[in-house]
Amino acid sequence: MALNICWLDDLAKAKDHARQTKKPVLLDFFNPQ
Amino acid sequence: MGAVTYPNDKVVKFVDYNFVPVQIETSNTVLMNQFNVKWTPTIIVLDADGNEVHREVGFLAPEEFIPKFMVAKGKYYFNAEAHPEAQGMFDEALRDYPDSAAAAEAVFFRGVSRYKMTHDPKPLREAYETLTAKFPGSEWTKRAAPYRLIPQ
Repeated sequence: MALNICWLDDLAKAKDHARQTKKPVLLDFFNPQ
Repeated sequence: MGAVTYPNDKVVKFVDYNFVPVQIETSNTVLMNQFNVKWTPTIIVLDADGNEVHREVGFLAPEEFIPKFMVAKGKYYFNAEAHPEAQGMFDEALRDYPDSAAAAEAVFFRGVSRYKMTHDPKPLREAYETLTAKFPGSEWTKRAAPYRLIPQ
């Protein structure tokens, strides 16, 4: 079974999660087309 | 990135272990403008307060993505003055990806981190010597040039 990155789509939630887990945020801007 | 790098098993495990990943579409002009993003892919590492730590623009294959973002995480620790953890990340990048494009930056910041932790300038000179020997054409070797004046 293939692994996938579990991307969030909300930067504010990501920053909250980063604070709780003491990890940095990896913010990827992408063009879906 | 979505076709080659992000589906790679090593990348998935690396990102999951080290980061909180968030993807924003280019249609989100508020965040595109806030972060001054003009081209994709653009990948930015932030601390929990939203301060930018590192930025990459353009495609990175898995064997370059992982060491680039090992160094980025090292810089995250470095900015937080968590120098043992920072040096651990720089050492890991140099051990596992010694020939990557990120290696020279890892040598540079490892030296600076050691200096900031000990206040002994010798690690800066050692970084310069390593960069000159292993990465003579790197921009990081040029940035370390003043450290050649530090006595060995």
